[in-house]
Amino acid sequence: MDALAASFPGSALSRDESLAREFEQRLADCPKLAYRVALGVMHNTAEAEDVAQEAMLRAYRSFHRLRDRERFRGWLVRMAFRLALDRIRAKGRRERHEYDATLATLSAQPEASVENLVASREFERQVAQALDALPAKLRIVMVLAAIEGYNTREVANLAGLPEGTVKSRLFLARKKLAESLQCLVKNTPAG
Amino acid sequence: MSCQKYSGWLTDAALGELRAEREPELLAHATECDACREALSQARAEYEFVDRGVEALVAGEPSPHFATNLRRRIAQETESLRSPWMAWAPIIAGALALAAVLAITIAHRHFRSEPNPSVASSVSPVSAPSEAATASLASPQLAQRKEGKHGAERTTQARSRTTALPEIIVPKGQLSAAAQLSAAIVTGRVDGNQLLAAQQESEKPLEMKPIEILPMEIPVIDDATEKPANSIEF
Repeated sequence: MDALAASFPGSALSRDESLAREFEQRLADCPKLAYRVALGVMHNTAEAEDVAQEAMLRAYRSFHRLRDRERFRGWLVRMAFRLALDRIRAKGRRERHEYDATLATLSAQPEASVENLVASREFERQVAQALDALPAKLRIVMVLAAIEGYNTREVANLAGLPEGTVKSRLFLARKKLAESLQCLVKNTPAG
Repeated sequence: MSCQKYSGWLTDAALGELRAEREPELLAHATECDACREALSQARAEYEFVDRGVEALVAGEPSPHFATNLRRRIAQETESLRSPWMAWAPIIAGALALAAVLAITIAHRHFRSEPNPSVASSVSPVSAPSEAATASLASPQLAQRKEGKHGAERTTQARSRTTALPEIIVPKGQLSAAAQLSAAIVTGRVDGNQLLAAQQESEKPLEMKPIEILPMEIPVIDDATEKPANSIEF
């Protein structure tokens, strides 16, 4: 931590141990959040970790402005999401083609049980593709709501949106996802 | 009729977004109506399925080395920022970029003022029956141009280039004329040897021939009239 304290940029902050301590606290609980947000966009653990690292590094650079815990988390979530989207755009459509190839496989096995489907890698890919097809503003609330079961208020805090907006966006996102995954959800047993 | 009314509420109810005052009404209806109960149950299962899918997608932990790697990156960045050379890095980069732009501009201007070698080389295969002939055709114009503009040094360079490569250099705007002449020589419409001979002829020094001056004839003067014998009277 001393090394971290000594490394804070700016002459006024260079020896600010309290700032370093606070950043260490964020380092203990926030990387998981950034990682999961990135994973919800990238669907790749290595790349999601890289994006989360980059987001944390940027957070570190601006930490003197982000000392408030909630503000820090919200900023980090939005930064991780934006960085992940940028990476995806930069990579182009190469991976989408991979998902396309799996669609045929899924359609060919409509009788598969729900448990098997959820557990299967193919199912994950199908959901990932449906999630990718959502507009970014719907996707971020959907991803945040799926992380550790955040409620609407928590999602609103993290996304920096009014609660009502989050509710309507979540509603829309779920509907669109259900439509996209129709071939799978129709086979789910009720109750 | 009532089923139609409640069907629009099913999605909201399944997503937990149904208005509080409507929920008991819907649930009361669902207890009586098998179809609506089934539909509500199905909708809830579908959305739960979707939620489970997304949850599975974002489940996971960063690697145990995450914090260590991040600290290392922070240390590297701080180190690079503290290096005295790094403080000058943006200035050096800017200066290098400026120098590169200047060099490109100067080179561009230089090549624009120079005869275009690509044009010459593109013309040369058509225009040159022999290197010697081409060189001799080009040399007066070349020499005039070079001496007028660039001095002796460039003329020497151009001449050495002329001997190395078949080249026709023409004043600006006469390139097509030179190309036509070259084509005519190659196709035989114009005799290149004849042109060459004419050129060589024009380059020969003038011969100064002595002029023969005949002695003047002095007419015989008639002493009586004091007029020449063949004089004309007005």
